[in-house]
Amino acid sequence: MKTYEVFLKRAGKDPFTHVGALEAPDDDLALSFARDCYARRSEGEQMWVVAREDLLVADPTELEMADRAHRHNDGTFLRDLRQAGSAEPT
Amino acid sequence: MRSWDSMEDFEAFLDGGGLVEPDDDMPDAYRQAVFRFIELHANSEYMGGLTERDWIAKAPGLTNKLTALAKTQDEIGHAHLLYMVAADMGVKTRDEMTADLLAGRTTFHNVFHYRAYSWGDQIAIAYLVDAAALASQQAVFKNCSYGPYKRILRRIIAEEGFHMRNGEELLLKMAKGTQQQHDMMQEGLDRWWWPAVQLFGPDSPPNDVLLRWHIKSERNEVLRDRFVQKMVPQLQAAGFTIPDPDLHQDPDTGRWVSGEIDWEALKAAIAGRGPDSERRLRDARNAWDGASWVRDALDEAAAVPA
Repeated sequence: MKTYEVFLKRAGKDPFTHVGALEAPDDDLALSFARDCYARRSEGEQMWVVAREDLLVADPTELEMADRAHRHNDGTFLRDLRQAGSAEPT
Repeated sequence: MRSWDSMEDFEAFLDGGGLVEPDDDMPDAYRQAVFRFIELHANSEYMGGLTERDWIAKAPGLTNKLTALAKTQDEIGHAHLLYMVAADMGVKTRDEMTADLLAGRTTFHNVFHYRAYSWGDQIAIAYLVDAAALASQQAVFKNCSYGPYKRILRRIIAEEGFHMRNGEELLLKMAKGTQQQHDMMQEGLDRWWWPAVQLFGPDSPPNDVLLRWHIKSERNEVLRDRFVQKMVPQLQAAGFTIPDPDLHQDPDTGRWVSGEIDWEALKAAIAGRGPDSERRLRDARNAWDGASWVRDALDEAAAVPA
């Protein structure tokens, strides 16, 4: 048995979303089981089924490190500037 | 891999609404407790699916047979999803969980240790048991700290909602039917009221780790009370009685107060000493053994090179 991950795209502009996993002996049956388990009520208009062993998985701690303050302009400078400006006599 | 230096840090993470994922280095006590909870849920969906299956042939009329078929697919489907989530916790493989269930080494909900004799029983199950199970699952979903379980519960809850509405629809049809249908429905309610009330379990212990670790979001007694407040007026309005001679309305608050609950019946059922435990497990073993040729065929088909 192999483990597969299942992704569904609901409709239109929706992104593909991970909906769960399943076990199947081969790819054809994985697609069939995925329909039975995850799309019995037209939950999506497109489906991806991917063998778990083929997924490349990033280390979540490395993703946290990518969150640097200098990449987010939080507007502090502009806010302070505007506040200073409005305090001045016109 | 995320990890926490101490249980205090981990609990602070949970209290802050953090979601635990399978790759995280979670404390072992948390892993074990969450795994046991999901395994019990998976076992119960599986046993419930087998019960539902019995009614595909027996349900009256094509529409009810189709509904029974869809519900069977739903319950077995829920078991599939939950066993996957449980297996990914790395405590037991799926095969080990199946073997433990069929050997009676693990448990499933009390309500699947009773026999459904008539169509009235089956509607009582759909109406009372599905509503009780749905209320418990919604309370878990609300605050659930284990990511994969929370995500899969969303789907399960949506489908259980269909079952509950179907149960209510059938109950109201029986209420408006012949005297014979009304009596059959009342007998079903008489058999299933107490098991459904007991499904919520005895009052939660003061320091329940499932509450502290945000698996449950409500105490058992709160959910049970809410169920009684909702169900009693609905059943009475439909012309049925509740099989609890001590049930009364508090004159001050107007709330319904149940008579004493027989917790020994709950313990016995879960321990496999319920009225129908033996037959149910035998039936599950037969179903598993009877389908072995399908599993063998799938394995052989997969072994043939494309």
